[in-house]
Amino acid sequence: MERKRHHWIVRVTHWVNVVAIIIMVGSGLRIFNAYPAFARKGEMFCCYPFEHKPIPAWLTFGGWLGGARNWHFAMMWVLVVNGLIYLAFVYLHGEWRDLVPRKGDIRDSWQMVKFYAFKRKDHPHQGKHNALQKTAYFLLPVAGAVAVVSGIAIWKPVQLSWLTNLLGGYVWARYWHFMAMLVIVILSVIHVFMVFAVDPYSIPSMITGNYDERNSPEARNARPFYHLFPRRRPVVPPPEAT
Amino acid sequence: MKSDPKDYVSIGGIDRREFLSWGGIVSAAFLAACNSRGPKAATRLLKYAERKNRVVERALFRHTSIDVVRPSAYDAGNKLPSYFVSPMVPVWDESVRGKWALEVSGLVANPMRLTLEDLQRLPRVSNRVNHYCVEGWTAVETWSGVPFRELASVVGVSPDAHYVDFQSFDDDYHESWDLESAMHPQTVVAYGLDGKMLEPAHGAPARVYSPVKLGYKNTKYLTKIVFMPKMNGGYWSDMGYEWYGGT
Repeated sequence: MERKRHHWIVRVTHWVNVVAIIIMVGSGLRIFNAYPAFARKGEMFCCYPFEHKPIPAWLTFGGWLGGARNWHFAMMWVLVVNGLIYLAFVYLHGEWRDLVPRKGDIRDSWQMVKFYAFKRKDHPHQGKHNALQKTAYFLLPVAGAVAVVSGIAIWKPVQLSWLTNLLGGYVWARYWHFMAMLVIVILSVIHVFMVFAVDPYSIPSMITGNYDERNSPEARNARPFYHLFPRRRPVVPPPEAT
Repeated sequence: MKSDPKDYVSIGGIDRREFLSWGGIVSAAFLAACNSRGPKAATRLLKYAERKNRVVERALFRHTSIDVVRPSAYDAGNKLPSYFVSPMVPVWDESVRGKWALEVSGLVANPMRLTLEDLQRLPRVSNRVNHYCVEGWTAVETWSGVPFRELASVVGVSPDAHYVDFQSFDDDYHESWDLESAMHPQTVVAYGLDGKMLEPAHGAPARVYSPVKLGYKNTKYLTKIVFMPKMNGGYWSDMGYEWYGGT
């Protein structure tokens, strides 16, 4: 009953992305801690309530500013190349059809929210992903693109000043870079939580590529921590050949 | 009819115990990695990436790319952090070391020693520009001094010179640059800050200043400018910050 669910390119880029994002976020937070604020010296910044409050060290990676910068500037290429391979594949192979937003998505997302909130009994019918998943998997590359573009703007604020200015200058480019990171982290945390709480069967499918549709959240009518294990009808042996 | 318990516990061929132990190993690896410098073996790879980044950065570099301060930005004024590596603010003591002079030497036709008065007699510019610190902050200040290009033309730089070392009397602080960054129109040998003579807190008597390099590349308390065929590292570059440090 197992069916190929993820192409090997999707599986490889997914796990490379896991490593790249963890290192980029960790080292980025260590870099941020060298000046955990956005304000230009001698100014105030309007839009960040935690100015000058460092991120807890255990969330950071790289050990010191120079080390974190070296990791960040090396891993950025992995992140970008990996992301481009994924996007090119999704485009060329047609998978983008499962991911781009469509007209009914808002309605379908609301139905998913209602289902998770026990306001609806049966799991809404879905394709490869439910409407909330689709939204998340669409937003993640968008946030990734914002992170990359704003990152380049911070990296080269003079040589690529047109780009930095487009984002509102260096201070704002740093802010958008931080916010894009925040979106990526929030989406990833929800993603990992939902994988374990709703569809752990998707973990092996992201390794081997195979997925048994009988275990799908829709087939199990699964909410977070509800119906984690499928109720299976006993397998009836096929009639013997006569 | 009894159903096979395997149907319940098997997740894609991995049983629950295996699944949990793998989860444990992965979480332990993450915890061990927290706040760490990462694996030692990665050092060479990171160095390799830095060298490749340098190629990209030098290819991107243009003299026509000019740092422009945003119209809404305020000057940092006395909020500009003071910074040096000696235990005390480095001050040039004339009674001990004699009159301060900047030595310009290396691959040049006319090596020179320029006093502060000599520097002030050379063409002067005042640039109101951003200071980009490696830590992530910026500060707007006006730096006055001799455009590096002017200085280079006065001493007559040899075509064999591709790098410049900026040396100081702040312990052994120095940083070497690629010549093209030094020749950027906004690179100055600065002796003035915000309309006043540079103070010891910010690198008096003179320092190199350019928005095309991060703060740590802009050596303060200058003593020597040496034109070289090869790069010469630097105080922070040798400790692991990127040698290029360009913006």
